[in-house]
Amino acid sequence: MSAPAPVLEARGLSKSFGGIEVLRGIDLTLMPGEVHAVIGENGAGKSTLMKLLSGHLAPSGGEIRLDGARVAFAGPVAAEALGIVLVHQEILLAPDLTVAQNIYLGREIRRGPFVDDPTMNAGAAEAVAALGAALDPRIAVRRLSIAQRQLVQIARALLGTRRVVIFDEPTASLTPRETEALLGVIREIRAGGAAVLYISHRLPEVKAIADQVTVLRDGALVTTRAAAGLDPHAMAELMVGRDVSKLYPDRAPPETAAPVLEVEDFDVPGFVSGARFRLGRGEILGFAGLVGAGRTELMEGIAGLRPGRGRLRLRGAPVRFHDARESQRAGVVYLSEDRKGKGLLLGQDLTVNLTLAALARFTRAGLVDRGREAAALDRAIADFDIRARSRALDAGQLSGGNQQKLLLAKMMLLEPEVVIIDEPTRGIDIGTKEQIYRWIAALAASGKSVIVVSSEMPELIGICDRVLVMRGGRIVGELAGARMTETEIAVLATGASEKEAAMMAESA
Amino acid sequence: MSETPVASRPARRSWRDLDLRAVAPFVALAALILFGASLNPNFVSVDNLLNVLSRSAFIAIIAVGATFVISAGGLDLSVGSMSAFVAGTMILFINAAPVGGDVALIALAMTMALVTGALCGLANGLFVTLGRLEPFIVTLGTMGIFRALTVWLAEGGSIAVRSQEVRAAYRPVYFGELWGVPAPVIVILVVALLGAVILNRTAFGRHVIAVGSNEEVARYSGIPVGRVRTLTYVIQGVCVAIAVLVYVPRLGSATATTGLMWELQAITAVVIGGTALRGGVGRIWGTVCGALILELIGNIMVLSDLVSEYLIGAVQGAIIIVAMLVQRALSRGR
Amino acid sequence: MKKLLLGLATAALVAGMASAQDKDVTIAVSIPAADHGWTGGVVYHAERAKELLEAAHPGLKIIVKTSPDGASQANALEDLVTQGVDALVTLPHNSDELTDPIRSVKDQGIFVTVVDRALSDPTIQDLYVAGNNPELGRVAGEYLKENLGSGDVVVIRGLPIVIDEERQQGFDAAIAGSGINVLDKQFGNWSRDDAFKVMQDYLTKFPKIDAVWCQDDDMAVGVLEAIQQSGRTDIKMVIGGAGMKEMIKKVADGDPMIPVDVLYPPAMVATAMELTVANFYDQVPVRGNYILDATLITKDNAEEFYFPDSPF
Repeated sequence: MSAPAPVLEARGLSKSFGGIEVLRGIDLTLMPGEVHAVIGENGAGKSTLMKLLSGHLAPSGGEIRLDGARVAFAGPVAAEALGIVLVHQEILLAPDLTVAQNIYLGREIRRGPFVDDPTMNAGAAEAVAALGAALDPRIAVRRLSIAQRQLVQIARALLGTRRVVIFDEPTASLTPRETEALLGVIREIRAGGAAVLYISHRLPEVKAIADQVTVLRDGALVTTRAAAGLDPHAMAELMVGRDVSKLYPDRAPPETAAPVLEVEDFDVPGFVSGARFRLGRGEILGFAGLVGAGRTELMEGIAGLRPGRGRLRLRGAPVRFHDARESQRAGVVYLSEDRKGKGLLLGQDLTVNLTLAALARFTRAGLVDRGREAAALDRAIADFDIRARSRALDAGQLSGGNQQKLLLAKMMLLEPEVVIIDEPTRGIDIGTKEQIYRWIAALAASGKSVIVVSSEMPELIGICDRVLVMRGGRIVGELAGARMTETEIAVLATGASEKEAAMMAESA
Repeated sequence: MSETPVASRPARRSWRDLDLRAVAPFVALAALILFGASLNPNFVSVDNLLNVLSRSAFIAIIAVGATFVISAGGLDLSVGSMSAFVAGTMILFINAAPVGGDVALIALAMTMALVTGALCGLANGLFVTLGRLEPFIVTLGTMGIFRALTVWLAEGGSIAVRSQEVRAAYRPVYFGELWGVPAPVIVILVVALLGAVILNRTAFGRHVIAVGSNEEVARYSGIPVGRVRTLTYVIQGVCVAIAVLVYVPRLGSATATTGLMWELQAITAVVIGGTALRGGVGRIWGTVCGALILELIGNIMVLSDLVSEYLIGAVQGAIIIVAMLVQRALSRGR
Repeated sequence: MKKLLLGLATAALVAGMASAQDKDVTIAVSIPAADHGWTGGVVYHAERAKELLEAAHPGLKIIVKTSPDGASQANALEDLVTQGVDALVTLPHNSDELTDPIRSVKDQGIFVTVVDRALSDPTIQDLYVAGNNPELGRVAGEYLKENLGSGDVVVIRGLPIVIDEERQQGFDAAIAGSGINVLDKQFGNWSRDDAFKVMQDYLTKFPKIDAVWCQDDDMAVGVLEAIQQSGRTDIKMVIGGAGMKEMIKKVADGDPMIPVDVLYPPAMVATAMELTVANFYDQVPVRGNYILDATLITKDNAEEFYFPDSPF
C-alpha cells in the first residue's frame, strides 16, 4: 500500500460565538480507510468541530481542505454533495414515514410526477442490508427500536458515495449489543475505503474501533496519537488533565453527617433500578455518570416529577411525593438541568419567575403583594448577583449564567432543606461557575444538604464531599477523599476497567 | 461582560415603558369610534353607545372567561351552545318552579344557572385534564351535546318564560339602569374587574399564566397544572352563566339560535384584546375592548349606508384583519 | 299542470278520505333539523302527522329523519332509501344541492314529494307542496299600502337565500308606486337576537319609523323588544310572517303593534305527508303542485290558526 493522501484536513480551525472562542487552532488529518476518534469532556469543542467539518457551521478562522484543496461549505447539503456526511447524535427521522420514505426524504426517486415507491423500497432494503441488518422498508419508523432507527439514519447518511462519515456519539442511546452491531458497521465502512470520524464518551468503545485518537480540551487540541498506544485510562487522563483548583472554594466536609434524606431500593421504571444512598446534613453529594445513566431520572423520581417506586425517608420519616408541590412543601427542591424548558418561563419577567414556586409566601388576603415581590427581587439581585439591563426584561433575555442564578434564587425562596441541582454550570462561563460553586458551598455550610448532578468531573471533585457514580440506571460506586479522581470516576462511569480486561484478552 | 447590575429600586414608569401591545386594542377602539362618528352623527349619541355597550355584554362576559382558558393554553368552543343550554334549563326551571314570589324565584333560578354553568365548565375541564384530550376536540364535542340538548328541551321550538309577572320582574336585569348606566354595562364592569383582579393579582392568576407559558416549568415549580387548567374551564362556565343571567331577561326566551357563533366571537374578542392564542398572556380589559370593537363594527355597518347588506360580512372581516395588523405593527416596535 | 290553492282545509279533507284498507307502505320524511322556530315547527308537525297517519293506517310506517345541513341530508336520503321505502317526503335544505340526490331517489321508482323548496328540475317531484313566498311578501306589502297609505318602513330580511329573495320581491312589487318608502334593509338571520340588534340600530339611525316588515315571527319578537326598550311611539305596526303561535295570539288579542300576521305554516309538511299517504291508500290523484295560500291572519280569523300545543 503506497502512502495514501489525506481525504479531509483541518488546519488551524477556530470558531467563536459572540466573542467567546469555543475552538481554537485545531489541526486534524483524516486518512481514507481509517477510523479517527475525537474525545474530550463536555464542552471541549467536539461537536463544534464536527459541525465545522460537515458544513453545519462556518469556521471563524483556519481552513478545511478536501483532497488537498481548500473548501468552504455553504451548508450541510453542500458538504454532503462532496461526500462528507454527519450522522447526528439525536434521531432526526420522521416517525410516521416508512423506512424507505425516510431514507429517500428530500431526494425521492420519481417516475413522472409520482414518487416511485417500489424502486425506493428496493433501494432502502439494499441500503439497510448493506449495514448487516434486515428491515422491512415499508414499516413506519415509529415502530422501530432506537437502535434500528439509528441504523436507518446511518443508511440514509450512507446512501450514495461517501468519502467521510462523521458519527457524533452514535452509541449514546444504544445497548451494548446494539453498540457491537454498530461498530461492525463502522468497520465495514472503513473497509470500503471511507474515512470515519468518531466521537464518543465511551472510551472502551474508542479503544475498540479507533485507529487514531485526537484529544480536545477547552477548545484546544491536546494531542493526536495512534490508538494502539493508548488504553482507556490514559485517554481519560488526557481528557481531564488540567489545573482547575482555584475555581473551587475551600471546604471542610461535615464531621458527623446525620442523614437527612435516605433512599432505598428506589426504581424509576425504564431508567433507574435499585438506587440506594444517604444524604447527610450539610453534605454536598455528587452524582456522576454518562448522559443517559439515569441520574436526572433518579432525581426527578425522588422529587415526585416522574413515577418512582421505593423507600424515601426525610429526617427519618418515610415520605412519598406525587408531584413537585409535595416535595417542595417537604423541603426538597429540584433544579432542572433544562433551565429553558423546565426551569424558567422565558416569556415572563424576572419577578414572575422569581416568585412562581413560592407564590403562597407573597399573597396577602388572596392577592399577590407586589411590594413584597419587588423587595424579593431586590434581595435576589443582590444575593445572587443577577445582572440584567432592566428589571422589566423577560427571563429569556438573560444570559445562561444569570438564568441559572435566577433559577437558584427562585428555588431558594422555598427555603428548602435538600437542594438537588442538575448540571449547575452547563453552558455557563467560568466566572459565573465560580460564583455558583461558592454559593453551593455556603449553602451546605449553613446546614442544608445538596445533591449536585453533573457531567463535569472536575466540578464534582472540586465541590463534593462524596461522589456516587451511575451507569446504566444503577449506582455502581461511591468515591470519597483521595479516591475521588477523574480517572476513577471515568473508569466507573464508562466501565472501562472491565472492558479493558476483556479487550486485552481479545488481542492476546 | 456587557450586562450591568440592575438598579436596586424599580425606576419610575415612564410612557416609554408603556406596553404598546396592551394599548393597541384601545387605540383601535378609539379609531373605530371616530370612524363611526364620521359616518353618522347619531353613532356617538349616548343612547346608541349605551345600546351597543349593553349588547356587547354577552360576548364580553363570555370572553372574560375565555381569556382565562386561552391564557392557560386551552380553548373552549362550547360556550355558545352552553349559553343556549344554560338559558334553556334556567327558563324551564322558572316555568316549573313552585316557589312563590318573583324575586325569590328569580334569585333561585339565577343560582341554578350559575351552578349549571360551573358544572358544564367542570365537565369540559375534566375531559381535558383527566381525560388528556385535546381541548379543541372535547369542546367541539360538548358544543354539539349542549346544542342538541337545548333543541331537545325546546322540542325544536323556543323556550319562553311563561309567566308575564316573572318576565316583568326579571326584565330590568337587561333593560334597567343604575345611575343612568344600563344594568348589562354594570355587569360587564363587575365581571371584568373581578376577572382582572383574579388574573393579575392572585396566585391562581399567576399560575394560569405560568401554565399557559410553559406547562413543564409550571409542573417543576410545584404548580398543580391539572387543577389550574380545570378551574379555567369552570370560570369559563360561570362566565357563560353570568352572560345568560343578562341574556334571558332581554327576550325572555331561548331558541335554537341562541348563542350561535358566540364561541367564535368570544375567541375573536380575546385575540383582538391582545391575548395570545398560544397562551401565556392574558389581558382582561383588552378582551372587553375586543368585544366592544366587534359589536361596534356591526352597529356602524347598520348605521351607515356604506355597503349593500350583502357585503357587511366582508367589511366586518376586513376590519378585524386591519385591527390585528395595526396591533402587530404597534407591538413590533417593542 | 294542475294548480290548486289549498288552505289548511286540506288536512280535514284527507283525513276524511282515510279508509281502513290494510296495505304495507313505508314513507320516509327527510327534513332539516330544528335550527330556528319555523323549522322547529316543521319537525313538530311532521312528528304529529306521523302519529296520526300511522294510527289511521295500520300497515303504514313513517320514518322521520332530520339533518343539520345539506350534505348530511344527502347522506340521510341514501340511508333512508336503503331501508326500502315507497315514498319520500322531503323539505330540502337547499334546492340546488339536493336536486341530484333526490333525482337518484326518484330513479329507483320511489314517489317523491317535495315541500317548500322546489327542486331545480321540477320534473323530479311527483308532488310539490309549498307556501307562497312571493305571496307572503305581497300580502304584507298590500296590507301596509292599504292601512298605512304612505310612510317610512324598515325591513329586516332573513338569510340571503332564494326564499328571502322571493319574499322581498313580492313585497317590493306590492308597494311599488305607493307612498310607502323603504328606509333600509338589513339581514337579521331569522334570529331574535340579531333582529333585536338590527332594530336597535334602526331606531338610532332613523328618527321616524312608521312600520317594520320583518317577514318572520321569530324576528318580530326581537323587534318588539327593541321598540319597547327605546320607548318610541312613532312605530305603528310590525308585520311578521309564518304564523308563530305567540304572534297569532297577539293578533287575536288585538295588539295594535301586531295587527296581522301572514301565514306560512310549518304544518305544510303535514299536508304533504297526508297527500302522499292518500296517493297510496285512496283512489285520488294527488300529483301536481299544491301551493298554500299566504293567508292574511287578522283578529277575525286568528282563532282558526292558533295551536297552543305547537312549539312554534
